[in-house]
Amino acid sequence: MALAPTVAAQTTTRRTRDEWVDRNAGRMMVLPAVVILLAFAIFPLIISVYLSLSRFALEAGGFRLKFVGFYNFRRLLFGAQQYHFLGTLKPLNWPEWIGLGAFAILMLLWLGRYVATGFTALGFIGRLISAGLATGSVTLALATLPAGAYQGTLLTTYFYVLVGVTVQFLLGLGLALLCAQPIHGRYLFRVIFFIPLIVTPVGVAYMFRMLADMQKGPFAPLSSALGFGEWSWATQAWSARLMVLIGDTWQWTPFMFIVLLAAIESQPRDQLEAARMDGASSLQTFRDITWPAIAPIAATVVLVRLIEAFKIIDIPNVLTAGGPGLATESLTLHSFIAWRTQDLGGSAAVGYLLLFVSTITCVSFFTYVVRWTRRYQ
Amino acid sequence: MTRGTDPRPLMRRLFEPRRLDTMAPAPRIFTYAVLGLWTLIVLFPIYWVLVTSFKIELQVDSGPYYLPFVDFQPTLDAWTFMLLQNNTLGPYLNSIVVALASTFLALLIGSLAAYALVRIRFQVKLAAVLTFIVLVIGVIVAVGALDVPWPAALVAAIVLLLLALNTYVRRFNAAVGNNDIEFWMISNRIMPPIVAVLPIYVMFQHLKLLDTQIALISTYTGVNLPIVVWLTRDFFAGIPLDLEESAEIDGASKFRVFFTIALPLVRSGLAATFLLVLILTWNEFLLALFLSNANAQTMPVLVAAQNTTRGPQWWYMSVLIVIMIAPVIAIAGLLQKHIARGLLVGAVKG
Amino acid sequence: MRVRLANIHKSFGHVEVVKGLDLEVEDGEFLVVLGASGSGKTTVLRMIAGLESVTSGRVLIGDRDVTDVLPKYRDVAMVFQSYALYPHMTVFANIAYPLVVRKRPKAEIQASVSDVARQVQLEPLLDRYPRQLSGGQRQRVALARAMIRRPAAFLMDEPLSNLDAKLRGYMRAELKHMQHELGITTIYVTHDQTEAMTLAHRVALLEKGVLQQLDTPTNMYNSPANLFVAGFIGSPPMNLLDGALVDGRFSTTAGSFATPSHASHTTAVAGVRPEDCRVTEVGRGNIVGEVYTTELMGDHTLVTCQVGGTTMIVKAEKTFNRRNGEAIGVDFADVAVHLFDKACGQRIG
Repeated sequence: MALAPTVAAQTTTRRTRDEWVDRNAGRMMVLPAVVILLAFAIFPLIISVYLSLSRFALEAGGFRLKFVGFYNFRRLLFGAQQYHFLGTLKPLNWPEWIGLGAFAILMLLWLGRYVATGFTALGFIGRLISAGLATGSVTLALATLPAGAYQGTLLTTYFYVLVGVTVQFLLGLGLALLCAQPIHGRYLFRVIFFIPLIVTPVGVAYMFRMLADMQKGPFAPLSSALGFGEWSWATQAWSARLMVLIGDTWQWTPFMFIVLLAAIESQPRDQLEAARMDGASSLQTFRDITWPAIAPIAATVVLVRLIEAFKIIDIPNVLTAGGPGLATESLTLHSFIAWRTQDLGGSAAVGYLLLFVSTITCVSFFTYVVRWTRRYQ
Repeated sequence: MTRGTDPRPLMRRLFEPRRLDTMAPAPRIFTYAVLGLWTLIVLFPIYWVLVTSFKIELQVDSGPYYLPFVDFQPTLDAWTFMLLQNNTLGPYLNSIVVALASTFLALLIGSLAAYALVRIRFQVKLAAVLTFIVLVIGVIVAVGALDVPWPAALVAAIVLLLLALNTYVRRFNAAVGNNDIEFWMISNRIMPPIVAVLPIYVMFQHLKLLDTQIALISTYTGVNLPIVVWLTRDFFAGIPLDLEESAEIDGASKFRVFFTIALPLVRSGLAATFLLVLILTWNEFLLALFLSNANAQTMPVLVAAQNTTRGPQWWYMSVLIVIMIAPVIAIAGLLQKHIARGLLVGAVKG
Repeated sequence: MRVRLANIHKSFGHVEVVKGLDLEVEDGEFLVVLGASGSGKTTVLRMIAGLESVTSGRVLIGDRDVTDVLPKYRDVAMVFQSYALYPHMTVFANIAYPLVVRKRPKAEIQASVSDVARQVQLEPLLDRYPRQLSGGQRQRVALARAMIRRPAAFLMDEPLSNLDAKLRGYMRAELKHMQHELGITTIYVTHDQTEAMTLAHRVALLEKGVLQQLDTPTNMYNSPANLFVAGFIGSPPMNLLDGALVDGRFSTTAGSFATPSHASHTTAVAGVRPEDCRVTEVGRGNIVGEVYTTELMGDHTLVTCQVGGTTMIVKAEKTFNRRNGEAIGVDFADVAVHLFDKACGQRIG
């Protein structure tokens, strides 16, 4: 008789424990992810802020971090490291001033239109930041691109991101449109085109170094026949950048291709047929049906690629080691090199500037482009 | 199935298809030509690497040879050296272990969190979150700048947090919901790893875990969580609620429902995510560079190191590249359809 | 314009979905192609449109052989089941699209769109986007887009199936009126026999790719050509009894009765429509049975009777009050009996 109450008590405790588990199941499920993200993302992020505001020095038995405020940032933007980050600026001549002025007016018009239609404080501040970054970048470009000036890692990264993603998108879209036609071997093409995505970027860099060797590589006979057999692409800034871009494009075009092909294949068939019956040509069909149908997905895939493109490091590091000089150095590579020279503060500062630029660009793209393509849904 | 001759004028015959499900001759030639050209562009570099791995120094230096057995005599010299004499197996094993372990962990933790975010309603008080952030910053400043011993700072922070939770946090009702939490998790992807790497490096140094597989596995898990959450979230949102609700009515706990009902239903989506994350981790370079040295070195770091230790010895490097690419190509080739679908789902919902 | 299908066969791989179809639609006729899903009716429509290729046979529109001609040159317009409206264009742009694509002058486009919009009562909605419209409004936009070109023929693929019942009834009447006004040959595909009966000049009933009967609705109702047609047309469906026919007298397990025919068939099926039957006392009807269940439909009652080994449905008056299990007789006139051969399903008399 004494056993029964104990058993009953045990089952009740088990039941209340189960109930507690179930009631808090949600929190328990999310907790591991939150903890890990806190440990590996948020915590380091905050510590990096502190690092970027301090100066690192080795001393006996370890190291010392001295708080120096915005010294690292000042150095990058205005001081001794400006040539590295922004580039060697040259004063603008008057056509460039006019160009800059025109762009600034465009930005003001854009802001003004927002104020006139549906103004919110948060939205305005966001647009102000985006416009500010855009104008600053244009100024920087005008000040460093023409001959006689040198570009810094910020502009080089922008080059990789903007030009690279555009080329990869256009190529990927073109290939996807062709592959979506009624042809044989579509599956085979899909499998083959997927391969560059899975080659390690470091491997891609070596591949292209081998291929681009004008003396011993596979194109050597061609280059000597065309007369530039002795020329090395690695010794000139823009050819080196182009080579990095080629490697990056070879690797990432398949990403656009695969997603866009899937999007094209899932466009509404009945609208296509209706347009065909109405007599639309291929161009009209693409403009009026295919493109509006895939625009949201295209915008999203470009956004995903933008986010990743800012982080580029493998290819510039291995292909050219950032050279010649700093010509192919991306922001991540800049930060890495600073770390290697014990400049922890500077490294963190560069990392943070990259974070700012990347976040503002990606969020702007999301808000103004991605949302706009979804306006019909 | 052509029925007789085509009565149309020449331009239409060339550029307009005969029937809706075929292509006209001119566009068809153009399409195959372009696709064929791109196939060449994709395959040639890989072919070149493969062929180079069968060459010796002399053959590489004296000019390009294209076809084995025709242009030059292929040898296994580079292969035997890299696989037997050089320490290649160590990093290769490291890569396999680290990639598989971290992908599996990321998938488990990430899908669990994604499921909870889709099915369970969260309301975290905004005041609590802000207090938490302030306290974290406070701890860091205290430990870093003011030289407060970190156990003391941690305990003080926890006490303050509990205090706050029971007092003023109760007063404010503003809360962050599921969408905000999701956005926060997924937005961590924007952060460039270089920003987080230095503190992580210091943390592992303190814990004496530098250059271990554990360090890499845990870091990769953290880095890949956002992608897993982003992709699996939509898979879970797509399964009908009825199955899970009927299981709960029958008495299953939420965990049991997750493992026995929800997870099996999104099998193919999980496979796609697994492959994607596996490939990303297999190829990852920067974090491995910082966090590994002699013991936990992974393949990408080994490949990059060839630059400094051997100069441009292409034949050896080609072997490394080939053994890095081969397994991933095999897996991905078989399952690229799943990956495409997974990427598409992610892109549609954004 | 006349539309003619001559011995059309269509196979998808090894599966033949349309088997030897001959169809002729007169100019200005409203032909409904009726059938269950999988009967091949949509495939037939798409072959006329040019959206599917023909495995063998010919399609003629007017006097032109269009079998190998692209859809845009066939001068037909199609209304899709899902309407296929372009979501990012206004109603005006949607309707104008066929003319815009053909690069007609702006003034002509403006005039045509206004004209057509007035005919379908869409004028106040021309600036809206499809997502802002109701189902019925979207359907009218699809209709307007088909009408604007004044094609040789309209092809409609179950255009009313996405509407709710009340709207469907309203649109049926509108469609019939409009077709009569415009006088354009219309080929309309549906699985709903009510639509077929109310809209069509003639109905083509398809089953598994084979044409079962091509006739006016009245004839299909009153003299179905085979068992399939008899069972498909009519709601509630015709009662079918197995039995033997000897010299014009049909005998089943539940009773025997005279028929208008004088033939003899060992295995035959007799069909009587529910509205031609009456429930009477046990001894007085052609057939004996018992009440299985009754359903009051408002103005009449449907009585399901257990007869022999099968059931029969009888339309009775709304005051019918027999109980389940009561023995009853079912009575009907001789001339109301349809006779079919059981083996091949063809009509005997």
